[in-house]
Amino acid sequence: MKRQNRLGSRALMALVFLFLYAPILLLIVFSFNKGNSNIVWTGFSLDWYRSLFQNRLIMRSVYTTLLVSLLATAISTAAGTFAAIGFYSLRRRSRAALNTVNSIPMMNADIVTGVAMCLFFVAFFSFWGDFSVWFNSVQSVVVLPERLTLGFGTLLIAHVTFDIPYVILSVGPKLRQMDKNLVDAAQDLGCTWMQAFWKVILPEIKPGIASGALTAFTMSVDDFIISYFTAGSSSSTLAMTIYGMTKKRVTPEINAVSTLLFVTVLVLLVIVNLREARAERTGEERRPVSQKLTRMLDTPKGRIFRRGAAVVLAASFLIVVVLLTGATNAQPVVNVCSWGEYIDEDLITRFEEETGIIVNYQTAESNEALYSLLKSGAGDYDVIVPSDYMISQLIEEGMLAELDYGQIPNYTLISERFKGLTYDPQERYTVPYAWGTVGIIYNTAKVEGPITSWSAMFDEKYAGNVLMFRNSRDAMATALSYLGYSLNTVDETELREAFQLLKDAKSRGVYQSFVMDEIFQKLEGGNAAIGAYYAGDYLTMLENNEDLAFVVPEEGSNWFMDAMCVLKDAPHYEEALAWINFIASTEANLANMDYLWYASPNQEALEQYPAYYEELYEEPLDQEAYDIIAAPEEVLERCEAYLVLPLETRKLYNELWTELGI
Amino acid sequence: MSKELIRLRDLCMAYDDELVLDHLNLYINDKEFLTLLGPSGCGKTTTLRIIGGFTTPGSGDVLFDGVRINDVPPYKRQINTVFQKYALFPHLNVFENVAFGLRMQRRPDPADPKRRSKLPEEEIRQRVLEMLEAVSLKGFENRRTDALSGGQQQRVAIARALVNRPKVLLLDEPLGALDLKLRKDMQIELKRIQQQVGITFIYVTHDQEEALTMSDTIVVMDKGSIQQIGTPEDIYNEPKNAFVADFIGESNIIDGVMVRDKLVQMYGRQFPCLDGGFAENEPVDVVIRPEDIDIVPVEQGQLTGTVTNVTFKGMQYDIIVDFRGFKWLIQTTDHSPVGARIGIKIDPDGIHVMKKSRYSGLYGDYSSFSDEYDELDTVEPEEGGDEA
Amino acid sequence: MKPKLSRFAIPYVVWMALFVVAPIVLVVVYAFSNDLGGFTLENFSRMGTYAVVFGRSFKLALIATFICLLIGYPVSYVMSKEGEKFQRAAMVLIMLPMWINFLLRTYSWMSILENNGLLNQVFQRIGLIRLYNGLFGTSLEYFPMMNTQGAVVLGMVYNYLPFMILPIYSVIVKLDGSLVEAARDLGADSLNVFRRVILPLSLPGVLSGITMVFVPSVSTFAISKMLGGGTELLLGDLIEQQFLGGAYNPQLGAAISLVMMVIVVVCMVVMNRFGEGEEQAVIL
Repeated sequence: MKRQNRLGSRALMALVFLFLYAPILLLIVFSFNKGNSNIVWTGFSLDWYRSLFQNRLIMRSVYTTLLVSLLATAISTAAGTFAAIGFYSLRRRSRAALNTVNSIPMMNADIVTGVAMCLFFVAFFSFWGDFSVWFNSVQSVVVLPERLTLGFGTLLIAHVTFDIPYVILSVGPKLRQMDKNLVDAAQDLGCTWMQAFWKVILPEIKPGIASGALTAFTMSVDDFIISYFTAGSSSSTLAMTIYGMTKKRVTPEINAVSTLLFVTVLVLLVIVNLREARAERTGEERRPVSQKLTRMLDTPKGRIFRRGAAVVLAASFLIVVVLLTGATNAQPVVNVCSWGEYIDEDLITRFEEETGIIVNYQTAESNEALYSLLKSGAGDYDVIVPSDYMISQLIEEGMLAELDYGQIPNYTLISERFKGLTYDPQERYTVPYAWGTVGIIYNTAKVEGPITSWSAMFDEKYAGNVLMFRNSRDAMATALSYLGYSLNTVDETELREAFQLLKDAKSRGVYQSFVMDEIFQKLEGGNAAIGAYYAGDYLTMLENNEDLAFVVPEEGSNWFMDAMCVLKDAPHYEEALAWINFIASTEANLANMDYLWYASPNQEALEQYPAYYEELYEEPLDQEAYDIIAAPEEVLERCEAYLVLPLETRKLYNELWTELGI
Repeated sequence: MSKELIRLRDLCMAYDDELVLDHLNLYINDKEFLTLLGPSGCGKTTTLRIIGGFTTPGSGDVLFDGVRINDVPPYKRQINTVFQKYALFPHLNVFENVAFGLRMQRRPDPADPKRRSKLPEEEIRQRVLEMLEAVSLKGFENRRTDALSGGQQQRVAIARALVNRPKVLLLDEPLGALDLKLRKDMQIELKRIQQQVGITFIYVTHDQEEALTMSDTIVVMDKGSIQQIGTPEDIYNEPKNAFVADFIGESNIIDGVMVRDKLVQMYGRQFPCLDGGFAENEPVDVVIRPEDIDIVPVEQGQLTGTVTNVTFKGMQYDIIVDFRGFKWLIQTTDHSPVGARIGIKIDPDGIHVMKKSRYSGLYGDYSSFSDEYDELDTVEPEEGGDEA
Repeated sequence: MKPKLSRFAIPYVVWMALFVVAPIVLVVVYAFSNDLGGFTLENFSRMGTYAVVFGRSFKLALIATFICLLIGYPVSYVMSKEGEKFQRAAMVLIMLPMWINFLLRTYSWMSILENNGLLNQVFQRIGLIRLYNGLFGTSLEYFPMMNTQGAVVLGMVYNYLPFMILPIYSVIVKLDGSLVEAARDLGADSLNVFRRVILPLSLPGVLSGITMVFVPSVSTFAISKMLGGGTELLLGDLIEQQFLGGAYNPQLGAAISLVMMVIVVVCMVVMNRFGEGEEQAVIL
């Protein structure tokens, strides 16, 4: 009977571990896949490991993650240990109160912690700005920086803040278990208080400190949400990079880096555990290495060494911190925010090599999300690439800087057609980046007959197979187009009618999900049949799934232009202009056009592209494809550009959008 | 006394290749107060746990009322235990701790004998309160157990076990955590309770005084086997080997030779004694209790020596006397100054002769066990008591 | 002289005041202000609209927590009965997945659960889908598992299960073995030992496990976006949307956060009370 029980319990454990590890196993297996699919195995290869080390976006974020986790762990372990000792010697009531506050970061929802810290930092920065302006004006000995931004510093503070409670949580009980007379005994035997601390308290609570540090490190590495709100534009952790990718397609390089990380930790843990197990079995002291080290450090020579080592450690720690903050200041940087997979990443490398300017490249999900990022202060970018209507709005709100076109000679290469458009009639703020149309992408294997109308987006026939935009302007535009209204209508009844159309379709279960870049893997993988998206992206998907077709519906659609702008007070204005000029070049435009399949506003690039394509792929470019990239006049005639909407209408959009989500 | 209740037959037990019980045989009578006495690691607690059913013996049988109960789980044995550190349930108050066992009980329903029903609440209440009164804890029903003193916790543990009316109560060093005064009180209290309820107590301790005070029968154990079984008087007066002699009370153990029956030779002198049955000139261990030695003027002494140390002990003096390099402990009411030459005299009934055993020679001089109280150090200090 | 140890706490108290308390105060301030910074209750008056989201989030989080408890408790219990080596290995194995970012693990579930995903392909291959269609007269090409509430719950359970196991396990494993023996000695069979001793004594672990699973579940946003398809917002999504997402309105976001926080705190307090009551209930 006992054996049966044991078998049952082992089976339960096995099931749970299967559940925990199946997805991880899948990740690891597919990091060795030849193709870039996470489902279809096409053969063994180490390509993704090779390309991982060339992918600076990932490598940099791994570096940031490890650095912030290590620093946060070191700081929070030291600070947490001292705090725990402090707490321990407090009176019971004040200790209880402090413990409650201490447990807030652990118990509070991550998103609230993240949001709260983001609000706090932004508020503090604006206070600091006012203060430093005043301070610099009344004296000239010390010049305070007037502009602080979210970045590595705030990320580190946030991590330390949520790590310390874990350290206290594991050190506290060890202190309470400790015999209260130990310190007295040590002092009685001739230790100074400091010696008693090092020789008695610390060894006694060491296991607690170690497990606290381990927990803190794990939490730091695993954190996404708090980092997301506090990292700002100049640093991304691995988690943030992955989040950016999960929207579209996680490249197997991420699988590779995770596998490496996982295996490293596994090996480390196995070694540590084996060691401990062996130590226990032979009845040796538990941590032989550290013990030996301590013993070594206890000799007179060792004491000098120890003091020296402490100084060196402290100094090197300081140097690292200074270097980190310094490095970002010393080397010219430009912070760019664009859309997901909206650039040929080789261009970033090329620009960095040519100019020595480091590019911090981040992505936003949609114009509205970008606006939120800017408003909340979470994103302080130099260069952004918003769409037409959002540009108008930003100009209206005075958030953009005028460009010094003298430093952007390549601006002359932009086609006259795309200069002085409604969003920037006097050509003061923008340099066009790419343009295109919105249409319906559908899977011919799953849909009968060609789709020509927006009605497909609301048709119950396709229930559960339709993907709708996850941003208010584009989603509403599909409905407005279908209803025959202007995309820029401010008429509340028209807007409500369009909203009702969406709402009904949603409640009838037409929509499988609301997506942005997730649409790639969903349509490519055949997980959905129909989706509205941008023309250029259709061609990218077509490469992975030949059944897909694209149409700009007969009712008309949106024609959009994304343009590069520089934010007012951008800390790296010169570098920003250099970046814009570089991207505006014909070369860059060709590369981008080839990578994105979005049309270039650069006249030369637009004309040369078919030849460029033929040279690159040794086959002529299909005219149909070219027409999808750069829509011909007769299609453009059906289309309408977005204009900025008045504040009232924007509020209505926000309300309706939130309501749709409910 | 009365009839046999428990029999242990040829018990063997090993942990990690180390023999903890070595072919142990023992029977325990009904209504008997039996003490398993021995130093830590002698196997006494293991024996107790086997009787309680918490440990299954490696080999051998446990018989209860003539029935083999090796495989009967603890909750089906008519045996209850008072644990070393009481093991009171921290989530239950005093009343519920005591009531725990009663709530577990099922008995045939008087109305429908096929069904087994719980005890009625009123009965539980009554029995618990009676029991609490019996251990002088009336009025403590609703206290949390961690708010009680050591002695009170102790009595809750006893009440919790006895309320189930077991046939046998096992006590595993129950007084270990108490201070001396309380311990003495509880010894008497325990004996009183045992006589009052009239059941078998099996008591484990390393404290010889406790054993002598309370027991009907003492079983002295060492290294997994029984050294001697007997009444307290037997054990004290007629130790079977040097180990028992040294462990029980204080002794001077001296190498001797049995010249013939009733005559033993030590230090080249011959002493008359009451023992016999040895071979002629057989080497033996001689035990002399310190209080059996009389100090006499030098010329009247069977031996003469020099006083090297005197300690006042209240009732008597502990005097250390050096006889040609051998130190003896003598307890006497007469004072002799350090440095004095004295003679001693031992009555024949004060001389106990034992066969040589594997313990011979281990206990030189007057040394008794000094590490008996080691286990007490492991008692945890109360937490957070000194604050507020 | 012995330095006053309590002084050690001062730096961290200052730190907490700055980076823990002040931000939360700021959230409260935001919740009660309009976009011009004036005082208003408008943000809360709109809360009724979001009642559905609150309901949905709490429902899913409760289900996920319950499932975690259902799996986590037996696992912790069984684990604590195993040998030391096994326990050590099991603990490592339970902690280890946290070293692969949860987004990635969740993403991995996407490729398992998708309509064309691994599971559906397996079902297809072994003919399960055909069998199902034959039995129920349906014409499914796949079992729809993605973009459902079930998928979201699965994601929560998957990600937060270790947070249930760890606290329960650490309480059970520290449980004094003599208490179990005492209970057995007093006539409790295995079931009663569990019900009357182990369960009530492990309640603190259970409560902290529930908290540690429930709070992140109720406020998650990435999981619902990835596995739920974004058609049904959860609280986390709603909050994120107001700050960094498509509908910028930090005041409303702060108000929703505040309400969520308050509800969670009230739940916790009630639960802890109930937890104490539970002990009483066991007594009676």
